[in-house]
Formats: sequence, structure tokens, C-alpha cells
Amino acid sequence: MSESESESYKILVVDDEPDVEPLMLQRMRRHIRSGRYSFVFAQNGIEALEVLNNDAEIDMVVSDINMPRMDGLTLLSQISELNPDLRAVIVSAYGDMKNIRTAMNRGAFDFVTKPLDFDDLQVTIERTLENMKAWKEALSSRDKLVSLQRELDVASQMQQSILPTQFPRGDGFETFGSMEPARNVGGDFFDVVLLDDGQIGLAIADVSGKGVPAALFMMSSRTLLKGSAIGLTEPGKVLREVNNLLAEDNESAMFVTVLYAVYDPATGHLSYANGGHNLPVIFHGDGSCIVLPYTEGLALAVLAGMEFDTGEVTLAPGDTLVLYTDGVTEAMDAENVEFGMERLQAVFASGAPESAEAANEAVFAAVREFVAGAPQSDDITCLTLRRIGA
Amino acid sequence: MELKTTREGTNLIVDMEGRVDGTNAMDFQSALEGAIQQSDQGVIMDMGQLQYISSAGLRVILLVAKSLQKQNAKLLGCALSESVREIFAISGFDKIVPVHDSRADALKALED
Repeated sequence: MSESESESYKILVVDDEPDVEPLMLQRMRRHIRSGRYSFVFAQNGIEALEVLNNDAEIDMVVSDINMPRMDGLTLLSQISELNPDLRAVIVSAYGDMKNIRTAMNRGAFDFVTKPLDFDDLQVTIERTLENMKAWKEALSSRDKLVSLQRELDVASQMQQSILPTQFPRGDGFETFGSMEPARNVGGDFFDVVLLDDGQIGLAIADVSGKGVPAALFMMSSRTLLKGSAIGLTEPGKVLREVNNLLAEDNESAMFVTVLYAVYDPATGHLSYANGGHNLPVIFHGDGSCIVLPYTEGLALAVLAGMEFDTGEVTLAPGDTLVLYTDGVTEAMDAENVEFGMERLQAVFASGAPESAEAANEAVFAAVREFVAGAPQSDDITCLTLRRIGA
Repeated sequence: MELKTTREGTNLIVDMEGRVDGTNAMDFQSALEGAIQQSDQGVIMDMGQLQYISSAGLRVILLVAKSLQKQNAKLLGCALSESVREIFAISGFDKIVPVHDSRADALKALED
């Protein structure tokens, strides 16, 4: 992010509450003074469109949903027609999943909930701007003939810009994720989404192919997954919806393997569906483990109309769920021996991890020790969820 | 990766050897597409000597399966090693490309 720090961005904030403007200017004053952000304000969708029509320099929009004259959801669909490069973040009431889902489906990049947490908003704005920048570069390199290396650089920026930078934790649970990108090939991503009723959606995915086309495909997979996850509770139905949307118009035959799970922190209950992805492992407090039972499902975007089963398990206090991509199990040492499932299952044989982050690091450390410097050929990605307790 | 192609009547048989991954998937694609003829009724990929195939390789198989479907031809796999069989099973690709134990079984399936 250091290279972009000198750039400045113009943000349009749309809200009908009069105290939003002074509050925003006050809480963002450091970033305004440094020249990184400048703000313009509008009180409803109509005003916002007028501002956008008269000012081509606006980079992103932060909009409330419920407003007089034109609401935020209508504004969103207008924005995507006006300028598809504009990024929008929606501000909604906490738990208003129906509107958030509509917003995501209409092309919002992300959402924040009220009451506004300005630190969270600032992180979200940064991610959105970073993604917008990567997106613009991806589009321009798709249209221009660029060197393969340049194309791969753009693709990897795009990939980085969609990964979450903060990991939800709460009463009795914590999450953590990280990815180590391969130099050339790779298309892993993951996401952690806060759902209705305090539930947590966890997704890990691997896109086939490389370069800018794969990065753009990854971007649509991530957005569709997030939008569907917010609206539907059953993981099998989420994957079915995303699969149908992705398969609709997929001449390039790209596809994405996805493991999507919904965790309920109140009960430890985990439901999951699998679109052709590696099966996660649950490590118990005593170091033993189980691989989640296989559930039927094909990689996404291959065939429309596929069904995806939903499996169910319950995490006991002290259990750690590890989601990963094949970059972990297929990491190879100098003799072309794969890390494999058995080594993964043995990572915590000598004791359970103490946190989700520690579990994540332990997996990476075990892979690193095993490959002992042999070149990395695929992204290595791991997402962990730990149920804290006795 | 090595590809060897032979013909049996209107069927193309492709012997695959080594590894197919992101570094050679494009070569795999052009070799496979170059070998397929309009008149082919079936294409059998013999994977007996194939050690590994990554998602980039599976994508090529999907592309070829789709274009074969347009000419009403079938794509089959046979003789998969344990690790390749696992990749097909996990990704669900065995539902797109039927896999058979042996080349003879695959040829027989095309006759039916």
C-alpha cells in the first residue's frame, strides 16, 4: 500500500442525516489533512447523481440505504450504469441482511453497519480504493497488449485487494486467514462474512487459470459469493446460486472450487457445502482430527443447474477448523514429494493450537519446513476458525 | 508433459505422461486441440502415465469437453492413477468426464 499513499481520492458520502457531514470531516480529518481523502456530500440519491454527473473526479461512493426521494439501492443501480468503475460501499442498519444482499447484487463492493465505526469504515474505504485501482489496471491491461509478467502483477494486485484484512472474533470464537501467493500461477482467495443472527460465513476458493481473465473471474466469484451468502442461510443453496450465476456466461471455461461454511458461535454448529474443493480438517483439543465428511458438489461455473449437498458437524470447545487450498497439500519438496493429507493431519499431533492465528501459522510453518526451499508452484492459503473454550 | 496420439477408427486416443500444471497447460491445450478432428466420435485420454494434473489442466479438459459436445463427440478418461483419480473425484470432474478402469473399457463404452 505504500506506493499509493501519495495518491488522493475523492469520496461522495450520501446520507440524509445532517450530522453525518461534520462527523465524517472530524473523524477523517487526519486523512483529509494528509491529502489522501477529500469528501463531498449529498442528502439523497437524486442529489448524489447530480454531483456525480458534474464531477468526474469522484472515485467512490459511501451511501446510506434509507433516504427520501431516491434510496441507496436505486442509486446503486444508477451508478453502475453511469460509471462501472465507480466503487460503492453501503451503510445499513445492523442485521438488515435483505438490503445488504440487494446492494451486493447491484454491485456494491462492500458494506458497513450502523452505528458507524469510523476505524472500520476507513479500513473498508482503503480496501475498496485498492480494489478499484487493481480493477482499473486489470481492465486496461486486458485491452492493451501487455507483457505476461505485467499481466501477472496486475492479477496479483487484484487478488490481494479482495482478501479480508480483519478477522471476526467474538464470544467463544476467533478466525484467521492468510495466503502466500505463488510467483506465477495461482488464484486462491478467501472471505469471512458476518451474517444474520451473529453467524459467520467462511469461504475458501481456488480459481483455475491465471492472469487478468482469471483475476476478473475471481472478482465476480467473490462478489456473487458474498451476495448469496448474505441472503441465503444454507450453504448448499448458496453454492447452487453462485454456480448458476457463474455458469451462465462462461465461454472461457474457467471454474472455481469453493468450500463454503456457516458457523454459529452460539452453538458451535457448522454447516458446509463443497464445490469441488479440498475437504477441511477439524483438529480436536487432544491433537486428534477428523476430515469433514464428503458432500456432493462440482466445481463452480462448470455446469448450470447442479445441486450441492449441505453437511453438518458441531465444533466442540477447543476445536479448530482448518480450511485450505491444494497449495498446502500439494506443496512439493525438492524430490517432488507432496506434503499431503497425512502431514497436514499430523501438524497438531503434539498439541492443539492456542489460537486461530497460531493454527494458521503452524500449517504454514509445517509446509515451509517440509518443502525446505523448493520453489513454490501454487498459492498456499489457509483459513482457520477456532471455538474457544475449556 | 508428453502427449502421444493414435487413432482407432473414429476415435482418438491420447496418451498423457508426466505432469500438467499452470506452466504447460497452454501447450497441453494446443496439442490436444490440434489432434482432434471434426470427424472424431470419441476422445479417450489414457492417464496411466499421468502423475499430476492441476486446475489449469482440468480447465483445458473442460474446454475440450465443451467443444466436443458441440460436435456430438464424447470425452472419456481411463487408467487413472490413484492420485489423479482423487483429483477427479474431489473436483467432481468425474461427472463431466466419465472415467474407466482401462482403455478397453473406455472403447467399449464408446461403442454402446
